[in-house]
Amino acid sequence: MKRLRGRVLGAIFLLWAVFTLTFFLSRFAPGNPFSGDRKLPPEIMSNLLAYYHLDRPLWAQYLEGLKHAVRGDFGVSFKNPGLSVNDMIGRALPVSLTLGGVALLESLVLAVFLGLAISLSGKRVSSFLRFFSTSLVALPSFLLATLLIAVFSSYLGLLPPALWEGWKSLLLPSLSISLAPAGYLARVFATSLEETMGSPFYQAARGHGIARGFLLVRHLVAPSLNGLLSILGPLAASLLTGSFVVESIFAIPGLGRVFVLSVMNRDYPMIMGTTMVYTVLLALMTLLGDWLVEKIDPRIRAI
Amino acid sequence: MRISKGMIRSVWILPLLIFLMAMPILFHLTQTVFDPQVQNSKEVLCPPGTPGHPLGCDFLGRDNLSRLISGSYVSLGIGLMVGLFSTAFGTLWGVVSGSSGGVVDQMMMRILEVWFALPEILIATILLLVLGHGAMAVVVALTFGGWMGVARVVRGETLRIREQLYMEASRSIGTRPVRMILKHFIPNLLPVMGVLLLFRIPGGILGESTLSFLGLGIAPPHSSWGTLVNEGFKALPMTPWVLVWPALAIVVTLLSFQWIAERIGGSS
Repeated sequence: MKRLRGRVLGAIFLLWAVFTLTFFLSRFAPGNPFSGDRKLPPEIMSNLLAYYHLDRPLWAQYLEGLKHAVRGDFGVSFKNPGLSVNDMIGRALPVSLTLGGVALLESLVLAVFLGLAISLSGKRVSSFLRFFSTSLVALPSFLLATLLIAVFSSYLGLLPPALWEGWKSLLLPSLSISLAPAGYLARVFATSLEETMGSPFYQAARGHGIARGFLLVRHLVAPSLNGLLSILGPLAASLLTGSFVVESIFAIPGLGRVFVLSVMNRDYPMIMGTTMVYTVLLALMTLLGDWLVEKIDPRIRAI
Repeated sequence: MRISKGMIRSVWILPLLIFLMAMPILFHLTQTVFDPQVQNSKEVLCPPGTPGHPLGCDFLGRDNLSRLISGSYVSLGIGLMVGLFSTAFGTLWGVVSGSSGGVVDQMMMRILEVWFALPEILIATILLLVLGHGAMAVVVALTFGGWMGVARVVRGETLRIREQLYMEASRSIGTRPVRMILKHFIPNLLPVMGVLLLFRIPGGILGESTLSFLGLGIAPPHSSWGTLVNEGFKALPMTPWVLVWPALAIVVTLLSFQWIAERIGGSS
């Protein structure tokens, strides 16, 4: 419990630090959100700045922003007047979570099968599969996404190249996010499988002549899983970043796309809101991952 | 020196090195012989093998080969610089943190954790808000987006070195901290730094191409692998070759780096 409290305090410090950093970085950026598309008369400009409190001293803006952010209110989007940041995030977040969740599941399933194939097959096949999973790690997700679109949408016409309509539009983006982590996880899983295979309890179980299927699941896969689960938190984080790029490519109305658009538009409240949501998600994922590891393997004290 | 089997297997590193070194020269040629910016409306999206354009043309009739070469120069150069800078900065952070210990170490680790909590691309994107477009801006943004892993590994290694007997001897004769870092820690960290650099260079290339692909990094009309993939992607259904060349360049380079790093990192 004490350790958990420490983690929560750490997370709060993290949120504050990220807020402060993002706030000052975005304010030091040259120009303001309204200096973009066309020249505005100076009177209108000063009115606009006053309306959004952008004419106040920086520290007053910072304190005001922090006060509202603590209450979970990030204000109104500059580029989409009338839409609050919370509304836009509320609309985008479920999309990103669905995509991220499916991608996470895909990469775990793929990693388990690839890892099993690596450690159970003969030398030649095994080293080829190893090579294959290493190659997966090196492939950038944006390139994978473009290539998948090229093959499956442009030439075969099987799957939609963009937008968010039904399960069909989930396949390509989730695949392009999940392949790289799957390659990495497969390597990790194969290593722990080989470790388990060499351990006395597995040898003993094998010596007893336990049925092959039972042996595989109960005595080989289950004890090897914790290596995989211990990187679940960072993995979830990497999947979120992956979605950040891939969403922009597939025009999926998720958090990543909202973030990229708001950076391009210098929409300060939107940038603040999305960054904070990302940070909260990442902190939560890491904590959840550590908790899971401890639940599964009490020898490890992760939290 | 006896030639071992491993050395023969490592020979394939050489083409990559030559490839890397040849880039600036080729870049120079493109500036004088074929200009990657010259547009020709008669040759829009011409196929590969067209006289004068061995790799075809893009949607503005610019020569794909010239654009690929100048893009390679930009992407590889940025990747190399990001690799060097982030390894240097991360090492400095890790070695100072690990060798000082106590409150300084605690503070520096806390700050590191804050950075670590955010994805590299997110940090780089926010930094690019301030820094604007251009190659140097991308280098700085990616350097500060990706130094944290280096710092963590270097700190761990520093803690290990600190416990060695020769370090205790050095401490006992009253060596100053700065001299200790320069004369004892850094030389002992060099092998680790080498491996980390090998992982950071492709990281930088990947980061640059991702940012440029999204339109946040190198801005058109300048080319980098990211912008080229983006342009190729837009020209996709009819003219796949515009996408194929930069995609091939990225895949070959990143895979080579990955395998080299795997070999060296795995054996040491």
